[in-house]
Amino acid sequence: MRRLTSLQARLGLTLGVALTALWLAAGSLTALILRGEMNQVFDAALKETSDRILPLAVIDIISRAEAEEPGVQRLATAREGDEFFTYILRDETGALLMQSHNAEPSAFPAWQGPGFSEDATYRFYSDFALKGTVRITVAEPLAHRAEVAREIQMGLLAPLLLVLPLALAAVAVGVRLSLGAVRRFRAALSARGPRDFSPLPEAGLPAEIAPLASALNGVLARLEAAFAAERSFAANAAHELRTPLAGAIAQAQRLRAETADPAAAARAGEIEAVLKRLTRFAERLMQLARAEGGRIRRAEAADLRPVLRLVAEDVARAGGEGRVSLDLPSAPVRGDIDPDALAILTRNLLENALRHGAEGRPVGLTLTPAGALSVTNDGAPVPPEVLARLTTRFERGAAEAEGSGLGLAIVAAIAEGAGGALTLRSPIPGAAGGFCAEVRLPVQPG
Amino acid sequence: MRILLIEDDTVLGAAVRDQIAADGQTVDWVTRLDLAREAMAGTGYDLVLLDLMLPDGRGIAFLRAVRARGETVPVIILTALDQISDRIEGLNAGADDYLVKPFDLAELSARIGAVARRYSGNPNPLIHIEDLEIDLAQKRVSRGGKAVSLTAREWALFEAFLSRPGQVFSRAQLEDKLYAFDAEVESNAIEVHISRLRKKLGARVIATERGLGYRLVAR
Repeated sequence: MRRLTSLQARLGLTLGVALTALWLAAGSLTALILRGEMNQVFDAALKETSDRILPLAVIDIISRAEAEEPGVQRLATAREGDEFFTYILRDETGALLMQSHNAEPSAFPAWQGPGFSEDATYRFYSDFALKGTVRITVAEPLAHRAEVAREIQMGLLAPLLLVLPLALAAVAVGVRLSLGAVRRFRAALSARGPRDFSPLPEAGLPAEIAPLASALNGVLARLEAAFAAERSFAANAAHELRTPLAGAIAQAQRLRAETADPAAAARAGEIEAVLKRLTRFAERLMQLARAEGGRIRRAEAADLRPVLRLVAEDVARAGGEGRVSLDLPSAPVRGDIDPDALAILTRNLLENALRHGAEGRPVGLTLTPAGALSVTNDGAPVPPEVLARLTTRFERGAAEAEGSGLGLAIVAAIAEGAGGALTLRSPIPGAAGGFCAEVRLPVQPG
Repeated sequence: MRILLIEDDTVLGAAVRDQIAADGQTVDWVTRLDLAREAMAGTGYDLVLLDLMLPDGRGIAFLRAVRARGETVPVIILTALDQISDRIEGLNAGADDYLVKPFDLAELSARIGAVARRYSGNPNPLIHIEDLEIDLAQKRVSRGGKAVSLTAREWALFEAFLSRPGQVFSRAQLEDKLYAFDAEVESNAIEVHISRLRKKLGARVIATERGLGYRLVAR
């Protein structure tokens, strides 16, 4: 049998089964007690009948004996018909003296002395008079008693059949209502986004569940603190790494500028190049930590265009002079993505496009009012199997191209965290070649 | 141009200082905000290079205080804080430009020049005065089509005049632009430099305002 996992089903079933069992037990017990009582009443009636008939019969027999009228007599009854009780009178030899008109003498047992006795079909009461010369046995069919008992049981069971389903329904509704707060709690929990660590409402929860909720809120708060710590670690690491790297690079550049020896200048240039590569790699790692650990969405939405403008300006200044063409809508595009995360995403896509795109050809950065951010570049189409592997960490589009191989993984992580998706297409739809990376950012209408 | 560099990292600070000096500018380098406040109280700087995370406080707060006092000195932020939100905060606090570490020294020089040109009211690096053609970005001067070679000090002095065309500079002001605090100033150094400039660029380019100082002729 499948185990019941729902608290509601468990409670409903347990309560329903217990209620049904208790009710049936109570009914059965009542029927049993009533049956005992009923038997006493019937027995009393049986004995009463015998007590009433015996003196009359004796008088009748005596008067008949005086009149010398032989034969079996039937005591006159008020009217013919079904009788509950039948009786026979016998003498000490067992010869029949008198019987009720429905009595079947063969059904009566042999004389066993006064008192109650019973066979399969009848209950008997026997008594005697005139020193045992007149013996009466009154019989009552057991079927009669059984029928009465059945009626009593039915009388007890009938309301049960009506009330029990109602009671079970009431149990089900009651359980469901009581667990409503738990259900709402669960719904609130499953509806939230992957980076939402705000506390859950604890009000209205049953006392048994409330501690769970508050424990969960504690866990959420600790998680949020851990993520914040990770974020601030990334920021601190950025500072701790960037400043000495900046110093080393600047010194290498000064060395190159100040030395008259071409060999020394070349060495300084090599040192500088290595330091710059190290810088880019460290930067990507920190961006990845931010993308996967931090909060990608903000509580309030802001215009995305200024961030894109700043990044495009920056990237253009840092080596893509005149190659970045920006196409933004004239009206604000409001989204709740964290501006830093958006900047990291855009910068990575632009730098990728500049690095891998055809030499000297422009790179396009486009944002539509619906929040589709796309970066396109010219170049030979990327084979589909390479395209599929591109968002994997440390994967480079072309082995000889310079880069950490983390850029698209970072973009994918940020896009996912923002509730969007990264789509890579090559060639650009409607063109012979080129590469298009598109991220659909959730934006607010209007 | 006299530049104040506020940077606590000694390795980076030294390289930046040498780069600026090699460009022919005068640079004062401090490593703390309180020293920066002192320096700014005593000297009129043409530009400030500001690090954001300093041992005695945040550069942003310093910048806000500078702007709150109404000082219009150009400020370029040099920072390890690479987030776009930090940059927006810096620009909103009144910075003119923002350079994320690590940066190229050549780019730093270019940005210093660009910011200075914007402040002088002419973002175009090419200036024509009489028969002179001056390229501020390349630090080159040609007279009648022939290149004129200026020493670093001469260029720095000439650039000071170019940054405020028509303004009269006193001798003390020009000394301020040419010499950092620790450098010794010879009593007639400015006069010597001016006379050499006039010799190379033409006597009419720099006019003497008697009792007041010197100024560039209108361009």
